[in-house]
Amino acid sequence: MEIIYYPGCTLDASSKLYDVQTRIVMEKMGFSLRELEDWSCCGATSASKTDEFLAVALPARNLGIADATGLGEIVIPCSSCYSRMLVSQKILAKNAALKDRINSELTKKVQGSIKILNILELLATKSREGFFAEKLSKKLEGLKPACYYGCLQTRFPIDMEVPYDVENPQGMEDVCVALGAAPVDWSYKTDCCGASASVNDSELSFRLMSKIIQDAAARGANCFVTTCPMCQLNLDAYQNQIIQKYGLPGPLPVYFLTEFIGIAMGVSPYDLQIDRHFVESISLLKELNLI
Amino acid sequence: MATDILKFTQEQTATFLKEVSERSGQNLQACYQCRRCAAGCPVADDTGVTPDRLIRMIVMGDRDQASNNLLVWKCVSCYTCGTRCPNNIHTARINETLKQMAKEKSLQPLDVKIAAFHGAFMKSASHFGRINEMEFMGLYEIKASGEEMKRGGLSAVIAEMMAQAKLGIEMMKRKRMHFGFSRIKGMDEIKRLFNRAGKK
Repeated sequence: MEIIYYPGCTLDASSKLYDVQTRIVMEKMGFSLRELEDWSCCGATSASKTDEFLAVALPARNLGIADATGLGEIVIPCSSCYSRMLVSQKILAKNAALKDRINSELTKKVQGSIKILNILELLATKSREGFFAEKLSKKLEGLKPACYYGCLQTRFPIDMEVPYDVENPQGMEDVCVALGAAPVDWSYKTDCCGASASVNDSELSFRLMSKIIQDAAARGANCFVTTCPMCQLNLDAYQNQIIQKYGLPGPLPVYFLTEFIGIAMGVSPYDLQIDRHFVESISLLKELNLI
Repeated sequence: MATDILKFTQEQTATFLKEVSERSGQNLQACYQCRRCAAGCPVADDTGVTPDRLIRMIVMGDRDQASNNLLVWKCVSCYTCGTRCPNNIHTARINETLKQMAKEKSLQPLDVKIAAFHGAFMKSASHFGRINEMEFMGLYEIKASGEEMKRGGLSAVIAEMMAQAKLGIEMMKRKRMHFGFSRIKGMDEIKRLFNRAGKK
């Protein structure tokens, strides 16, 4: 099944590993990814904090290109890119004047036809259809992940239908269970890691993450799993500093969900680039005889 | 003085409230102070001001306080307040609007690092159509350090540089630093969109 793929800036740089493993895993699952031609920055939260027009217009350029392909769906791994594209599409569907204004500057006009999917929606749907029941080369027994959704997959700045239970989403748990892992029940799955605050307001961001790490450890998790590259980078790159500062146990490896699927389907952890995590993440997989 | 809170004129209140409501798309007058937003706000411990308080300031026409409090600047846009609000008021959108208004009026942001960060991000996007992390972080550090130096914060600047250098080294060790530059072909479109934004 051919589907458009929007990597976004983060997957083109510091989270390149997520791009690499998304391509490997999704191809293995039978998707044929077509990278969105000449995609551009979605504006992330910075656009909405500085300019209302650009907050809608920057994602819109990508939507126009996607609409023009004639394919039905676009998959977006980054929660922030996903949120901005979806919100832009919803706003433009209701505001014809703004849509005309933006379209007058675009080569490929926004039509509003493309269906925007977060990577988790796609994986969870496959899982519900029973895909993993047949295709696994091993079960992820012994992994007890705290499934971490973060903010932008479930909460949006406008009122709209959400594909999950906002306060207690289960899609990632469903996939983990299908892979043979035992996700823990915990309280901070949709709490905020601070996102860019880890750079520009680190004390605040570290405090937010300390609660997340503390609860995950207290619930008996032996790792985190997420689909958001900002959540992953924050919890991974700063976890050692945070557990030192707050006297917490750990650190726990912070896996991408695509890494779980890759391992369960027999892909080498080095092809998935799990060795590029900040918190050492290979040895847990070895201890549990998963690789 | 406790009575200060009641000092407001209808003209002043109406203009400010109308501007914020229209620009943010939020009906602030629907707030009945139930404080579900305050209970869920992850940054409230650091800001002192909770979303319900901010809405009240705006409804009362207190332009100064509403624009100059830590909630507006430290809000992480997690959208918990708006998701839980029984009347669908997204205070995070209000915070975004107030930041945009401060920028348009060239007011000194209450938190220079946060303002510098988002400014640098947009500048980087306008240069290449994509964020090149090296350029973006460079722009950010120059702007943030410059502002910090103006305030005489040399030690803060040094601490910041050390922290970023440490992270940079850790990233390089794990091959997570990328030095290649990415530039889109459709830069003319990006330039037109940025121009249009400036003209509004």
